Amino acid sequence: MALSENPESGSVSEASEASETPDGPARRGRVRARRAAVMAVPATLVAGTLAVLTAEGALGVQFAISGMPFTVTATELNGTGFEQFGGLDEMAPGSPNAGDTGGQVLVVTSAIKNATLTKLCQSVDLGGTNLLITAGSGAEKVTASDLTTDSTELSGDAAFNNIEIGNDASTLTKAGVKGPIGVFSQQADTVRIANLRQTNYATTAGVFKLPGLKLRFSSTGC
Amino acid sequence: MSSRTGFRSAFRRWRADRPFWGGVLLALGGAEVLLTMKASVKVMLHAGMQGLAGYLLPTLMVLLGLLILFNPAQRLFYSITGVLVALGTWLTSNLGGFFVGLLLGVVGSCLAFGWLPDQEPRVRRRLRRDGGVAATEV
Repeated sequence: MALSENPESGSVSEASEASETPDGPARRGRVRARRAAVMAVPATLVAGTLAVLTAEGALGVQFAISGMPFTVTATELNGTGFEQFGGLDEMAPGSPNAGDTGGQVLVVTSAIKNATLTKLCQSVDLGGTNLLITAGSGAEKVTASDLTTDSTELSGDAAFNNIEIGNDASTLTKAGVKGPIGVFSQQADTVRIANLRQTNYATTAGVFKLPGLKLRFSSTGC
Repeated sequence: MSSRTGFRSAFRRWRADRPFWGGVLLALGGAEVLLTMKASVKVMLHAGMQGLAGYLLPTLMVLLGLLILFNPAQRLFYSITGVLVALGTWLTSNLGGFFVGLLLGVVGSCLAFGWLPDQEPRVRRRLRRDGGVAATEV
């Protein structure tokens, strides 16, 4: 029927197709459902197991987000080995989140060696809807090691133990992260922050354990 | 006009030769995971090897997706590796790019795994259309 529509165009290719298959459409590759199921079924089982283990807190997962502001709240944060210093975050070139900032944000970098968080809630504004991640609302709490966050806003009721204020950021020792030389910083042995609320641009953690994990879309943030 | 239809039919034949959607979905899944990462390299270096794995796995997904497209002969190896790597991003890269990239990668790998070249057109449809002719051939 294609021949009747435009008789002179592409006659070579159609002739070759016709020679391949004198009857009906050309033989071509296809996905066989049963063959695909051989892989799909075990893959689904593994994905389900991973999700369940993570939700139970048996499996740690890694997070690394940046260039997009997101909010983190928790009713309580307990940490050992705490450092804090100022810094400058660069977004990826041409990032749509840059706005009028020129692609740079002034941030406070907080690093905590080992942290325990109660009722963690994390939300990313995707324009109109929010991606909401909650965890640790049950008996088991969220734990994170080598947690580093770059925040523009940080609020809460904090209590520090053995705090040293006014160190040079390059001489920090408590959490294993060193800042740029000549920058004001502080560090403490332990930290306890109640009603934590952060607006972050980047966060990394060596290992995050998220018992009671829930991932959903919501019209309101944290 | 004639060159465009020629290009389109050539593309259609190229596509019929390989697990096209499988490769595309796997590569897209990897790209989506990478997009959600975007963490600055400086921060990642603090996290060390574990942080690097977070970049390595989605990059592998993109590469395997492209390899499925351009070297479909090895699609079994690529798709098995692809599904393992896609599942691994749940652990290393933001829950597999907040699950979207993981889903795309697993679906793409399964499509590539289930794909077979040189298949007869669907038997039932052919039988319905040209009735006894196909039946006598078989």
